[in-house]
Amino acid sequence: MSNFKAVGSRLLQLALVLWAVVTILFLMFRLMPGNPMAAYIDPTFTVEQQQQLMAQFGLDKPLWQQYLIYLGNLLQGELGQSFRYREPVGDRIWLLLPNTLILTFSSLIVAYVFGILAGAYLAWRRGSWVEQTAIPLVLTTRAMPEFWLGMVLLAIFSFSLGWFPAGGTRNPGAEYSGFLDLYTSRDFLAHLALPAATLAIYSQGLPLLLMRSNMLDVMKEDFVTMARIKGLSNWTVVVRHAARNALLPVMTSFAIAVGYQLQGNVVVESVFSWPGLGRELVNAVASSDYPLAQGAFLMIALVVIFMNLLADMLYAFLDPRISHA
Amino acid sequence: MPEIAVPTMARSRRANIFARMFRALKLPTNDPFAVAGLLIYLVFIITAIFADSIATHDPNEILYTPAYDLAADLRPGQEGFVMGTTSLGRDVFSQLVYGSRSALLIGITAAFMVALIGSVIGLVAGYFGRWVDTVLMRLADIAFGIPFLPFVIVLAAFLKPSIWNVVIAMALVLWRDTARVIRSQVLTLRSRGYVEAARVAGSSHFKIILRHIAPNILPLSFLYGSIAIGWAILTEASISFLGFGDPDSISWGYMLQDAFASQALAKQAYYWFVPPGVCIILVVSAGFFITRGYENLLFPKLGR
Amino acid sequence: MTESLLSVRDPLLSVRDLRVSYQVGRNFVHAVDGASFDVPKGSITGLVGESGCGKTTIARALTRVMADNASISGGQILFDGKDLAKIPEREMNALRWRDIAFVPQSAMNSLDPVYTVEYQLGEVLRRRGGLDRRQARARCEELFEMVGIDPGRLTDYPHQFSGGMRQRVAIALALALNPKLIIADEPVTALDVIVQRQILDQLKELQERLGLSVILVTHDISVVAYICDRTVVMYAGKVAESGTMQATLTAPSHPYSMGLRNAFPDLQSAAAGILTPIEGAPPNLANPPAGCRFKQRCPFALDLCGAEPPVIEVAPGHPVLCHRAKESAALRIDAARTETWMASA
Repeated sequence: MSNFKAVGSRLLQLALVLWAVVTILFLMFRLMPGNPMAAYIDPTFTVEQQQQLMAQFGLDKPLWQQYLIYLGNLLQGELGQSFRYREPVGDRIWLLLPNTLILTFSSLIVAYVFGILAGAYLAWRRGSWVEQTAIPLVLTTRAMPEFWLGMVLLAIFSFSLGWFPAGGTRNPGAEYSGFLDLYTSRDFLAHLALPAATLAIYSQGLPLLLMRSNMLDVMKEDFVTMARIKGLSNWTVVVRHAARNALLPVMTSFAIAVGYQLQGNVVVESVFSWPGLGRELVNAVASSDYPLAQGAFLMIALVVIFMNLLADMLYAFLDPRISHA
Repeated sequence: MPEIAVPTMARSRRANIFARMFRALKLPTNDPFAVAGLLIYLVFIITAIFADSIATHDPNEILYTPAYDLAADLRPGQEGFVMGTTSLGRDVFSQLVYGSRSALLIGITAAFMVALIGSVIGLVAGYFGRWVDTVLMRLADIAFGIPFLPFVIVLAAFLKPSIWNVVIAMALVLWRDTARVIRSQVLTLRSRGYVEAARVAGSSHFKIILRHIAPNILPLSFLYGSIAIGWAILTEASISFLGFGDPDSISWGYMLQDAFASQALAKQAYYWFVPPGVCIILVVSAGFFITRGYENLLFPKLGR
Repeated sequence: MTESLLSVRDPLLSVRDLRVSYQVGRNFVHAVDGASFDVPKGSITGLVGESGCGKTTIARALTRVMADNASISGGQILFDGKDLAKIPEREMNALRWRDIAFVPQSAMNSLDPVYTVEYQLGEVLRRRGGLDRRQARARCEELFEMVGIDPGRLTDYPHQFSGGMRQRVAIALALALNPKLIIADEPVTALDVIVQRQILDQLKELQERLGLSVILVTHDISVVAYICDRTVVMYAGKVAESGTMQATLTAPSHPYSMGLRNAFPDLQSAAAGILTPIEGAPPNLANPPAGCRFKQRCPFALDLCGAEPPVIEVAPGHPVLCHRAKESAALRIDAARTETWMASA
């Protein structure tokens, strides 16, 4: 019963956050200098196009009516026309979203696998010189600007050594028959390597530090001592009991990290000319393509909000103390 | 950041608030990393203050060689430029020196605002509870739903690009982490005997907050403030790198953007784009080290 | 201390002059400082004393799973023809749980929260007992029935049980591999009195039915009186007195045991007398006083107590670590009066 109530209030909270973010977005794009109509209408549009858009977004009406129309449009998935591409913003975003998600998830999975193993190892070797040097080193990777790391990797591995291509998702002229064909090609993976490595190096610190401190805490728990008194092997004690418990919060942090990563993508995608949402957002803002900027922002916000929710749910699901209450 | 366990600080009720605040702010001088961090800060602060005398050139000036050629893309040491020049003939070393100014300015002001706003909101929410708490914490939820960097980019681009707009944009979002932690700390403080006693005795809210709660909150605010310094410097670098920074000030992020746009990578001009990155890493990790030392000082349990 | 003084015929476990120390900074704290006692087969031996007297340290030393800064610095733990203080870790690990099992104080913290109880029982049965999945399942049900829990609850997680039930699970876990010795470290301390009694009854019933040998560590002398056959009274890292429960509790010969008996209500007779605490606190083990360690709190202390006390056998199998052990009959009469203990404070 209380479970239902908890889920209900969580969903209500989700709805509130969604509404608030959408409203902030609306106000933000009305804040910009000049004519509010500029948000939707490019001066180079034909008079006919301009009038059609005026009607669609109610730009001749008072602000509160525009707001209602805006909400109505959003509910129908209507995000307007991109100025630069002369095509619906929604289409453009759906085209770019997979690139961003692939980059985000591939780098985070690498970062988490490495971070969890290394964090558990460092907890085990606590106090050793390995740990003494590794921790400041990890903190240093957290202090790097991601785009700068990307630049250094590009300069070394692409421009100097020529091992990897400098940007984009595929070689010029390369054609692929479909989605899967492209994303599993050597060409694509070679393009993915450097940006994914950049993000992975930056992201591994969070799971690593989290896993390490959790392990140190769990190793002091009575049930770990009991596992030793039971004569279980060191491996069983450390992996099945200590690591399994320490892993809980790390797993939930993955969802939150996806949200953070998406924001970091904005710069890294720009460095590697990776055609994703982040780079599109930057380009759209820079070239005053307001509908596209708004759409890209909204999409990123949606993923962030969804991931925050997922983190909560994942925790409840993975921890029997909550799921079997 | 993992949520930080709530420490127990206050013992004596009558102790001078100022003395306690000072003690609370005591710097972690027995942790070698924290000391290294403090030294790095010191070096950069001195550099920022005396930038005019340390820099060898005007960072914006287009320079020429004695032979009246544009001093473009010179390697370190060539024609007396310590760290080389940019493609437009500007001195890398001088830009680096002046870059410390905007980094520290942004870092410290943004951190101050984040800590201030976050602490006040956390304090008010935790102390007054009820609907005030609900409203403020829902606001925090909303702030957590806003993608930070995109938000700063859009605001920085729409408002006039300036350092202050970047700082404001950051403060508008980043108060959330501090507020949540401070709130939970206030909740535990509020239930302590001496706060209850002060309430029953009829002390005003203002007095209770100032005398009993604020001194215990201060170290946490300071901790979160010092974390925010790093965030702010990294964010400013990203914003400048993307071209939405303050056009009137030289920052490390701007240098990196300039280098990137001028094909410094293809030209293998490491002397140009490595130093600004290293400076950022130094300042930000110095903040981390101080924070860590500070955390060990505040919460000895966590450190081990 | 000679063998004859401690004679229990054919003991299962003999602890001889055991020393366990904790390293604190550069100092060593001798939490157990030369303890000797025997544990006979097929009975319950109570290890009793105030907190900090070293009883839990001994219990853990017997398993050789100790705090990082603790180590056995001397003495012998003779068990099954081996000296557990000396055998290599491999050999010790082979013997853990199969021969020596453990019932912890708080089953809540000692059961892994993310696995079902069946998994945790099965883990021991399969990994340590060599049973296959089907055999393990059958044994799990058998064990649950033994400790009086519905086998249908095997698939529950630890947090879904009540405190008393969890303690029963911990007992089932200890019985899993039919160990020769079960060490129970304050097994009922965290429970309320009614549940305490149920668990103790259960333990006694199982002990009698299965012929178990148990070491029961407790601070509560009424628990000892309720189910133990033998008693080992510890004070400040040393064994003050040991013997049959009857001998040590109805006719205690060490002044500390006499005081301890006054300080606890009697579980068996409803006629509870006035409880008299022993004033003062045990000595700091980082820097223990010379001679008898109880002398500062002892109402019968004399000048000679400044010297190291001898072990005196007041009856066969009943050694006492006290200069005045021979006068114990007279001291007991004084000790029964509350004023005796007030005066010393």
